Amino acid sequence: MDHFIGADTGGTFTDLVIIDSEGNLTFEKAMSNRQDPGKGVRNALASGAELIDSDVSTLLASTLRFAHGTTVGTNALIERKGALVGLICDAGFEDTLRIARGPLGRNLGVPITQALDFIHNPNPPPLIPRERIRGVLGRVASDGVEVEPIDEDEVMRALKELAELGVDSVAVCKLWSFLNPAHERRIGEIAREQFPDLPISLSSEVSPVLGEFERTLTTAVNAFVGPPIRAYIERLNDGLAAGGLRHSLQVMKCSGGLTLPQNVEREAAAIINSGPVGGLVAAQYLSQVLGYDNVVTSDMGGTSFDVGLIREGEFEYDAEPCLDQGLPVQTPAVKVVTVGAGGGSIAWTDGDRLLVGPHSAGADPGPACYGKGHEPTVTDVLVVLGILSPDNFFGGRKLLDVERAREAIGRVAEPLGLGIRETAEGIYEIVTARMADLIRKVTVENGYDPRRFALLAYGGAGPAHAALYAKHLGIRDVIIPPSSSVFSALGCALSDVKYSYARSEPLVLDAADPDSFMRFNTTLEELEEVALADVDASGRNRDEVTLRRTLDVRYRAQMNELTVPWTGGVLDGSSFDVVRSRFETAYEGRYGQGTTRSESPLEVITFRVDAIVPTVKPELKSEPLGPADASAAISGTRMVSLRHIGELEHTVYRGDELAPGHEIKGPAVIERRDTTVLLPIGNTATVDTYGNVHIHVNSGDDQ
Amino acid sequence: MAPTSDRMAALDPITYEVVKHRLWQINDEQGTTIRSLSTSPIVVEGNDFNVGLFTAEGDLAVAGPYVLSHVTTMDAVIKNVIARVGDEVAEGDMYLVNDPGLGALHQNDAAVVAPVYFDGRAVMWVGNVVHHADLAGIDEGSFCINATDIFQEAPRYFLKLVERGVLQKDVEYTFVNNSRLPESVALDLRAQIGAINVAQERLHDLLTEHDPATIAAATERSVDDAERRLRALLREIPDGAWQADAYMDGDKVGSDRILRVHVELRKEGDELTFDFEGSDPQSQGPANATMYACYAGATTPVYALLCGGDIDWNSSIKRCVTVTAPEGTVVNARYPAAVSLCSIGFTWLAATAAWKAVAEMLLGSPAHRDRSCPSWGVSCNANNLFAVDDAGRLRGALLSDHRGGGGGAKPDADGLDHVGVSFSALSFMSNVEGQELKLPIRYLFRKRLADSGGPGRFRGGQTVVSAMTSTGTTQVTWKSQNTAGSDQSNASGIAGGYPGAGSQVVVIRDAAERFARDPDDALASLAGASEGVEHQPTKSEGRFGPGDVFLFHAAGGGGFGDPLTRDVAQVVADVATGCVSVEAACEHYGVLFGDTGDVDHQGTATERFEQAFARLGQRSDDGEALLGDSCPECGGLDPERRDGTVVVSSQELRDAGPWIGIRWAGRSPNFGLEITACSRCASLRNVREVRKADA
Repeated sequence: MDHFIGADTGGTFTDLVIIDSEGNLTFEKAMSNRQDPGKGVRNALASGAELIDSDVSTLLASTLRFAHGTTVGTNALIERKGALVGLICDAGFEDTLRIARGPLGRNLGVPITQALDFIHNPNPPPLIPRERIRGVLGRVASDGVEVEPIDEDEVMRALKELAELGVDSVAVCKLWSFLNPAHERRIGEIAREQFPDLPISLSSEVSPVLGEFERTLTTAVNAFVGPPIRAYIERLNDGLAAGGLRHSLQVMKCSGGLTLPQNVEREAAAIINSGPVGGLVAAQYLSQVLGYDNVVTSDMGGTSFDVGLIREGEFEYDAEPCLDQGLPVQTPAVKVVTVGAGGGSIAWTDGDRLLVGPHSAGADPGPACYGKGHEPTVTDVLVVLGILSPDNFFGGRKLLDVERAREAIGRVAEPLGLGIRETAEGIYEIVTARMADLIRKVTVENGYDPRRFALLAYGGAGPAHAALYAKHLGIRDVIIPPSSSVFSALGCALSDVKYSYARSEPLVLDAADPDSFMRFNTTLEELEEVALADVDASGRNRDEVTLRRTLDVRYRAQMNELTVPWTGGVLDGSSFDVVRSRFETAYEGRYGQGTTRSESPLEVITFRVDAIVPTVKPELKSEPLGPADASAAISGTRMVSLRHIGELEHTVYRGDELAPGHEIKGPAVIERRDTTVLLPIGNTATVDTYGNVHIHVNSGDDQ
Repeated sequence: MAPTSDRMAALDPITYEVVKHRLWQINDEQGTTIRSLSTSPIVVEGNDFNVGLFTAEGDLAVAGPYVLSHVTTMDAVIKNVIARVGDEVAEGDMYLVNDPGLGALHQNDAAVVAPVYFDGRAVMWVGNVVHHADLAGIDEGSFCINATDIFQEAPRYFLKLVERGVLQKDVEYTFVNNSRLPESVALDLRAQIGAINVAQERLHDLLTEHDPATIAAATERSVDDAERRLRALLREIPDGAWQADAYMDGDKVGSDRILRVHVELRKEGDELTFDFEGSDPQSQGPANATMYACYAGATTPVYALLCGGDIDWNSSIKRCVTVTAPEGTVVNARYPAAVSLCSIGFTWLAATAAWKAVAEMLLGSPAHRDRSCPSWGVSCNANNLFAVDDAGRLRGALLSDHRGGGGGAKPDADGLDHVGVSFSALSFMSNVEGQELKLPIRYLFRKRLADSGGPGRFRGGQTVVSAMTSTGTTQVTWKSQNTAGSDQSNASGIAGGYPGAGSQVVVIRDAAERFARDPDDALASLAGASEGVEHQPTKSEGRFGPGDVFLFHAAGGGGFGDPLTRDVAQVVADVATGCVSVEAACEHYGVLFGDTGDVDHQGTATERFEQAFARLGQRSDDGEALLGDSCPECGGLDPERRDGTVVVSSQELRDAGPWIGIRWAGRSPNFGLEITACSRCASLRNVREVRKADA
C-alpha cells in the first residue's frame, strides 16, 4: 500500500501524519529537539511506522510524498543565528535597513501595549550590521530609466571588502531594480567572475516588488536564513533517501504550497512561520470535502492562539507578513493572526482585577497541574472545572495534579475575595470571551461578518472552549476534526507544489493608452514564463499545471492595494472594464456599499502568478452514517462547572469510539487521546462520515 | 439606577474584564474602519486620527492607540456638544465639529461624535477625529503658514451631519465642497460615519447582552482603575518643582521672531500641575495653541513616559493632571488668533517643554529613573510639495521623512535613532520609492545624520537627513511647516548631556550632482552662509527645479550625562558605524585616534582632563578635576543631591554638535549654551540652550 506523510515541527512536539492509499489516517507525536530538529522527525517516523505495524524503511519505500513544515528558518531569524550576510545598495541609502521607516522598525509586529511603551521597547538587533553594508553609485529613476551608470571598479572594491570581512553571502538591492534590474545583474555578474564561490541574492530576483525597505529586507532575510535552511533540509532529505524514500522531500511554505529541496535557499523567507499555514491547508481541504464555503479556523495550543479564514474556498493572503518585530517581508503568506494566549497563559491579579496573560508558563515549567510550576494557567482551570480529566490527559500518558492546580488558582482567588471555583470559572470565561473578540477582529478586518462562517477548531486546547466562543460570535456550526492535534502536519500531507512569482510594474490603466495594456500583458507573460521554467526544471509537464494570476490594484494615489484574481486572459479595450468590476466588487465587499468611485483611475502596482502543480493526494476515508445512539461510547459522568450555569453532571464519551451518525446531547465531554471537546448544556453534536464532530451551537440564552 | 458605588461594587471582576476587553475591541473596530476606508497617507501611514468611547457625560472611557493629542480633545468636543445642544440631541444624530474653540486641536482635525441610545436613553457617546488633507484657508493643506488671524484659515464647523439616521446631504456638500481636495475629504468623512455606525451597532449588542448599568459601571471602573494606578505611580516619585523651556524660531512666513514656551511642573503627592506662566504672548502667526490643545500637548509625556502600555489611556488623566496657562499667550491664545498650525506648532512645543520637565522629575526618582528621557522627536519638520508634472497633472503630498527624528538618551542607554514623533508610536515614514512614484522628485540620499545625537555619557538618538531634486517637471513648490529648530534645537539633553541636532530645511541651487556623488562632503558644506545655499526659516515657501537640492532633517535626541565620561569603547563603536565623526569624537568625547586609526589611550586621558579643566576656567596643572563617581562635592552627580558648588559658563551652540543653528554655523546671535559643572570635579551637571537676550 502507498503512503503519504506530513511532518510538522512545533515548539514542543513534532507531529506526524501518515495517510495510506485507502485514506486511513494515523498520527503520532514526538518531542521536538531544538538543536537537532531532524531527530524529532525521525523519532515520530519510527513510532508512526510502528503504529501501522511496519518499519521505517518499508514505510519510506512505499511513501509517494513526504512533506515537511520546519521551524529552522524561524528560529535562525528570531535568534539572529543565520549566515554572515553583506549588502550592496545605492550610495546614499546605506541606512535603509536601520532606519526601517522610522518607528515602524520598532513598533510593527509587536503587541500594541509594547508599541505604546515609549521607554522599554528598543529596536531589534540588525540582521546586517552597518560595517557589512556598501553603497555604490549608479541610479535608476522611478520610470526605470538609468540616470547614472554603475562604476564597476567601485563594485569590485565593495565586493572585495565584503569578502575580506568573511561574509557567507551577499545581498544586492538597488532602487527601482524591479523595473530595471540591469545594475543588480551587472553586480551579480562581477561577483560571479571575481568571487565564484560567494553566493549572491539579487532583490530583482528574490522580490521584484515596490518598496525598497521591504524589498531589501526580504532579500536580506533570504540570504540570512537560506544557508541554515538548506543545510537542514539537505541533511534530512539525504537521510530519508538513505532510509528508502524514493521521492524528494517537499517543504511547506507560507503561501500554502510546497517547494523542493533544491529551491529552499532561493525561497528561504517564504519558509519562515509556515507552521500555522499547514493547518489552514488542511482546513481548506476539509471545508471543500464537507461543502463549506466560509470557514474561520482557530488553533489553540500551549502558548498561542491562531486564527485564519477561508472565504468562498480561498485563503486570505497577507502581501507583506511581519515575521517578527520590525520585519515585514514581501512574501505573500496565507493570513494567520496569532496572539500569545494558550493553555499555558498565566492568570494573575493586582489585588483588584483578574487578568489572564500575556505571560505563559510555556512548556517549562508548564501548568501547575503538570507538577512543576506554581502559577495558575488556563489548563489548570480546565482541570479544576472538570472539563479536563486528570487521569485521561494526553491519552493517560500524563497524570495531572488537581490539588496543585487548585492551590495555584487559590493564590489568585484569595486577594480578590473569591472562591477557587468561582475564580476558575471566571478565568475560563475571560479567556473564552477574548478568543471570541480576536476571531471577530480577524473576520471584521477582512470585511466579513463572522455569523456567515462555520468555525473549525483544532489544536490541543481549542475544542474545550470552541462551543462557547462560537456562541459569543453568533456562529452556529463548529467542526472539530479527529486529527485536531496534528492539523498542521495533515496540511503538509495535503498540499500542492506551488511556484510563486510577483513583480511590481506600477501602471495606471487607461483605455486610451495601449501602452498600459501592453505592459500589463507583457508583465504577466514574463512572470508565467519564469514560473513555468520552474515546472520544467522539476521534470513535470506544463499541461498539468494550473496558473493563478492576481493583481494588486488600487485607486490612483490610494495607499493600500486590494489583491484581485485575473482570469481575463490578454487585456484589451474590451476586457478593460472587467478589471474595474473585479476590483470594485472586491472593494465593496470589504469596505461596504457605496465606497467605490467609478470615476477614479485604477492603478495596478504588483502582478502575481502562482503555478500550482497538482500532486497525487490521498482521499480521506469516509464511512457511512450509522445509528444515532452513542451510548456505547459513554465512559461515565463527571461534574463540570461553568459560570452562569453552575455545576452540572456531564456525560463523558470516549472519542475514539464515536462513529459516523452518532448524536450527543450536551451537557457532555468528549475525551480523545490528545484533546477534549466540551459540549455545554443546550448544544448537540453529531459525528459525520469522516469522524468530525459537529457542534450545533444553541444561539439562545443559557438554559 | 443605583448610585455609582453600588453599581461598581456589584460589578464582579470577571464581567469587568470581559466587558473591558470587548469595549477595547469595539473601539479598535472603529479605528480599523477608518484606516481601511481612508485614502489619505496622513491617516494610513501617519495614523493621524483617533477613536474613542465615552460615558454619557462625555468622559473618555476607551481611547485608540493612534495620535495622542486627540485623546484629550475628543471628550472636550463631546462636552461642548452636550453643553450647547444637549437637550436637542436625538437618537441617530451625528455632529461634525472642527472648531478649535469647541475642542478641536486645529481646523484640519474634524471630529464626528454621536450619542449611543439604548431603550430611548443616551447611555454613551462614540467619536472619532481625522486629520483631513485640506479644509480650505489661504494655504494648501490648511496649515495656513501665511495666516494672521483665524478668519484666513479653514472654516470652523459645528454641524448636525446626520439627523435621526439620515445623512444631511446639504451639510455634507458644504463641508466637502469647501476643500481643495473634495474627493479625499468626502471619502474620509464617509469613513468617519462608517466607523461610528460600526461602533454603535456593536455597542448595542453589548448593551443588550449586559445592560447599560453594567456597561456604565465597567467604563467608570476602568477610568477609576487607571486613575488609581497613575496615582500610585506618582506617589512613588518624590515631590518637587521643575522648569523647562522650548522655543519657536520663526512663527510665520517671513518672520524670524523667537517665542518661548515656559513650563513649571509641580508634583505634590499623587497630582501633577503643568503651569505655563512665563510663556510669551500669543503670535500673529498660525502656530498658537488653544487651552484645549495646550492640555493635549502638556499631557503627552504623561501618557508616553508614565502610562505607556501599562496604564490605560482615558479621562483618568484629567483627574490627576492640571494644566494652567495665562490667557493671551502662545499656549492659550485669545480668539481670534490663528491656530491652524498649532498641532505641530505650540501644542508640539508645549509637549516638548512638558516632556523635558517630566524627565527632570523622573531623574530624581529612584524607582522610575530609567524613564528619564529628555526629548523625543521634538520637531515636526513637515514639508508639503506640489508640482504640475510634464504630463500636465497636478501632484502633491506631504513628505514623511520628519518621522525619522531622534529620541533622547536615558540613564542606562543611548537614545533611540529615528524614533518618530512623541504624539504617535504608529506614525511611519514612507519608502523613497513610494514618494518618487507619487511626486516628480528624485532622492539623492536618505541617511542617518552623523553627529546628530546629542553628546552624552549616553548619546542622543540620530535623526535622518533627506535630499532630493525635481525631475519630470519644471519646478516644485514647497510649503514648509517646520515646528522649530532653525536657530536652536529644543532637543534637550539631561544630567549634563548636550542637546541633539536642530531641525532645518536647506535649498541648494545647482548642486544635485555633487550631493548625489558625495553626501558627506556636501553636508559638510551647509554650515553658515555661502553662495547658492539657502537656509530656510522654519515657516517657508518657494520653488526648486531640476539640479536644485531640497534637503531637510528633523531634530536629533539629547544626550544623558557628561560626554567626557562615555565609555571609550562606545565612542569607538560609534565612529566605526558612522554615528559619530572622528572630529566629534575628539571635540565632544575627548577621544583621540592615532595614525593607525586605533585609539590613543594616553592622549585621550590627557584630552579629557584638559577639556574638564577648561570648564573650570583652569589648566590641568592648576587643580584636581576628577570626572569621577567619588567626587565629594557633587556626589558623582547624585540626582538626589542638589547642593554643591557649581561653575556656570557659556558656550556656543556649535559646542553641542555641527547641526544646531547651522545657518549661523553654530554661532547664533540669539542662542547659546549654558554649561553648569561641578566646581571640584568638573563633571557637567546641566547643559541647556538659552536665549542670549535672557542671559
